[in-house]
Amino acid sequence: MADPNPTPPSILSTLGEEIIRIIVPVSTCMLIVVLLVTALSSSSSSSQTLTLTSSIAGIAYSESPSDSLWDKLKGAAFYSAVFVAVITALTFVLFLLFYFRFTGFLKSYMAFSSFVVLSFLGAEVCLLLVSHFGFAIDAVSFSIVMFNFSVVGVMSVFLIKMPILVTQGYLVAIAVLVAYCFTMLPEWTTWALLVSMALYDLGAVLLPVGPLRLLVELAMSRDEELPALVYEARPVEAPVNSRRRVWRGRRNSDNLNGSSNIGTDSVPNSDSLTERRDIGENQSSNLNDSTVGELLPETRLVIDDVGSELRAALLRRELEGGEGDGFEGIGLGSTGAIKLGLGDFIFYSVLVGRAALYDYMTVYACYLAIIAGLGPSPNMVLLVSFWARIDPLYLIRTAEVKA
Amino acid sequence: MTVAAGVGYALISLGPALSIFVSVVSTKPFLVLTLLSGTLFWLISLIVLSAAWRAFLPFPSSAWWQYVILILTSVAFQEGIRLVFWKLYKRLEDMLDAFADRVSKPRLYWTDKMQIALAGGLGHGVAHAVFFCLSLLTPAFGPATYYVNRCSHIPLFLVSAIISLGFVMIHTFSMVIAFNGYAEGRKADQFIIPVIHTISAITTLINLAPGGCVVGVPLLCIVMAVTLQYCWKIVWRRLTENRNREIVS
Repeated sequence: MADPNPTPPSILSTLGEEIIRIIVPVSTCMLIVVLLVTALSSSSSSSQTLTLTSSIAGIAYSESPSDSLWDKLKGAAFYSAVFVAVITALTFVLFLLFYFRFTGFLKSYMAFSSFVVLSFLGAEVCLLLVSHFGFAIDAVSFSIVMFNFSVVGVMSVFLIKMPILVTQGYLVAIAVLVAYCFTMLPEWTTWALLVSMALYDLGAVLLPVGPLRLLVELAMSRDEELPALVYEARPVEAPVNSRRRVWRGRRNSDNLNGSSNIGTDSVPNSDSLTERRDIGENQSSNLNDSTVGELLPETRLVIDDVGSELRAALLRRELEGGEGDGFEGIGLGSTGAIKLGLGDFIFYSVLVGRAALYDYMTVYACYLAIIAGLGPSPNMVLLVSFWARIDPLYLIRTAEVKA
Repeated sequence: MTVAAGVGYALISLGPALSIFVSVVSTKPFLVLTLLSGTLFWLISLIVLSAAWRAFLPFPSSAWWQYVILILTSVAFQEGIRLVFWKLYKRLEDMLDAFADRVSKPRLYWTDKMQIALAGGLGHGVAHAVFFCLSLLTPAFGPATYYVNRCSHIPLFLVSAIISLGFVMIHTFSMVIAFNGYAEGRKADQFIIPVIHTISAITTLINLAPGGCVVGVPLLCIVMAVTLQYCWKIVWRRLTENRNREIVS
């Protein structure tokens, strides 16, 4: 542009691309939830609430506005404790099923649950929208449209390889629906639930016997995809891949040492990260002992992120050969893509949607804080500069989706 | 204020920022990240300042000098934030350069550095506009508009939109000036930024006088124009320098 001579593109135009690829859908998800919340909460009196959600909320404790603060706190804490216990149990069940290789069952269960989310919750939210905007539609065509919508959604998410945009769109739709339902919970219950989910995530990921950690380690050691709702920001361009792999090879061999002088105080540099990887692999009871070798070097980084709820384990896997597992498409497999569990989408969107009940400025501040935890925090920028094509599998929080 | 008017006011205050975003920032992912962190920095400064001043508010309407103190401390704090931002950016720039060497790509051009500064400043400006203009607009949709006694000719929303337009531009381009001044070590550039910021903040006080918005708002626009002109001078100087250098070499 301003430079007169034809210059090669600077690194500015490529750096951080993948973070943007995650930030955009997260932002979209949050925006849709906020719009839904504002559109539906302003008009509808409290008579119009989702029946499904209120039934979920009423399982352990139903908050009523007349209760005292202490009662609400107690009830909310009890409710979230029950919720976390159920989720932990379900995750262990999931782990067992996965351990005994009931993958077909798992897949069909996940497909079924996402079908339920898309059809029932989607239909309920759509009904609210239809009645709010006075849109005229008869029951038959409405149900046909909803059925088609959900079937295509389940197909695209789990069963068939579709254009990546469709899959991503449906994943965002699922996240929006679930998050919208969670914002319908009473106030104190929502907050208690959010806090306890964050704590649960920390425990499940960081503890050595945490269910999510076990699950992901197992999946990594078997080199299988978890049948889970994971958003993939997958770059589609093929010819870049080969060069990326060359980078990886080079970086693995010698560049790690060269980069150690760049690390800042607050952030572990690459050497300490690799050290942690070694420790982690030793600690993990030699689960992936066979795979540490040449064929499948795996790295696990445990990153203490600034945002408290984002303290997830970043998993980086490299598939040098044999990357074509059937779950992934041809030519798209093993390009370095950031994956983010759908639970994070829901978590953030619930936070923002809850804030939208008060004030837009709160939403805005909340959004910025979340994005700061997710994206341009120094950790991430540093990571991007260390691993240009990082392959992090953010830990999967399917349990939230299922429950 | 109807929806059309609301959108119009929002576009008055954020339209130039939007075009900068679409044409420059959104094409490069890293600049988007810089923009976001710029907004975050400004937000943090706002939160800290408002927490500190919470105890003294609201002022009695007669005492205008308290507003001067408030504005001066705020400007000083935000300039401090700018320094912190610069320090962080400097560190990041080293990292980026090292990274560019490693992947054997060219290092950052001076235009890249200027674009980073632009994106950071735009983040400051957008955050300002969101909190001081959009926060007025969003709750006020409806079939009426609002005038203030002291400024009975122009709707309040229009005044706030123009003021926030001024501040978006001033924030954006003063960041470019400042970063360039820090990088080149030019004392004049480093000095003029707080001055511009203070002057533009003080001019908003004129709006407190009855009928003052007729004077204050154009004055702010003049300050904005001066900032733009100054920034353009710097960019033009660097452009010609680089061109000469290339001709020589």
